[in-house]
Amino acid sequence: MSEESSDVHQLEPARFFEQVHSFEFWFEAVEGYLHGLDHGHRAETPEAVLAPDERERLITVLCNYCVGETAALEGAGGLVQIAPNRASKIFLSTQTVDEGRHLEVLVNRLRELGVADPEVEIASRATPALLEFKRRLLALVRERDWLAALFAQNVILEAMEFTVFQAHARSADPRTREVLQGIVKDERRHLGFGENELGRRLAAQPGAASRLAAVRRELDPLVLGSFRDTLLRIGGRREEGADLAEHYRAAVTRLGFA
Amino acid sequence: MSAQDPLRETPADEGGAPRRRFLLDDRGFDEVPPRYRRFYRRWAGAGDQLAPNEALCPVCKVVVRSTRELRPGDRLYCMACMSRLLVVSGQDGRLEATVVY
Repeated sequence: MSEESSDVHQLEPARFFEQVHSFEFWFEAVEGYLHGLDHGHRAETPEAVLAPDERERLITVLCNYCVGETAALEGAGGLVQIAPNRASKIFLSTQTVDEGRHLEVLVNRLRELGVADPEVEIASRATPALLEFKRRLLALVRERDWLAALFAQNVILEAMEFTVFQAHARSADPRTREVLQGIVKDERRHLGFGENELGRRLAAQPGAASRLAAVRRELDPLVLGSFRDTLLRIGGRREEGADLAEHYRAAVTRLGFA
Repeated sequence: MSAQDPLRETPADEGGAPRRRFLLDDRGFDEVPPRYRRFYRRWAGAGDQLAPNEALCPVCKVVVRSTRELRPGDRLYCMACMSRLLVVSGQDGRLEATVVY
């Protein structure tokens, strides 16, 4: 391949768009950072010895990550049906696979921490606000509201997870860190897809921005509050709580309905 | 050779100064197919500095790299988050990337 033809910035926009939405691109991308891992971490990564209260806090946090990832899995699968074009459907099929993997590695992490029945544990430790967010997200998907559902899932939820998982990875035990770092790499694609697709749609339907602002007002508190609690639980600083909102607000500002 | 090493100068665009060219090395950015990895690197935080051929993706905060010195109006792509970017002059005069939907 010539230097010119492999220069990504020389691609025509349509060619770039087609390529990054493809299953082929996804496969080559994830192969780079998932190959050789065992449930999201290297097999040889040691299990840290956690104090009982640290372990309890980590289990509660991971249970809530599982709720978020279950929402994302069911949401992405549902969005495939209402996506407006084939490129988006194909991309969302890769996102659905990503979300399934996230849920699996997080459940496995719970088992590694000694949780005998992750399903029961997740149900008992789930934050009510996050469960309500999941209910609202899936309702938007069922109502076939592409813009609102995509905003809820790929902007609100993905932006929060992206920030919280990065913050948590910085202070986490080695295995949890590797699991979270792998998930963050997937989240980059998901939040980018959401913002870019919404940006294109809003350019064509500027009136939709006010409706999305209303969705935002309804859903923001559910996710923001839940993830702020998570940040504090994992020992995050108050400034990181501000960072959490900042990253998300920056995306909303770029989209024009801050 | 690192991104900071100009390879050669190219003819000036639209009457401006010649652009420096850069050979890109693989900085271990593993989130895109191997043939595109040299175009990206991770942002290392507060102490990090962008080279004249680099811009920070505003969407996902990955450093996007080009084989040539950047100028306002240049198009870049962030493959990590699938964003199309435009290089502009920021308020402080420094170049920055904005997302183009």
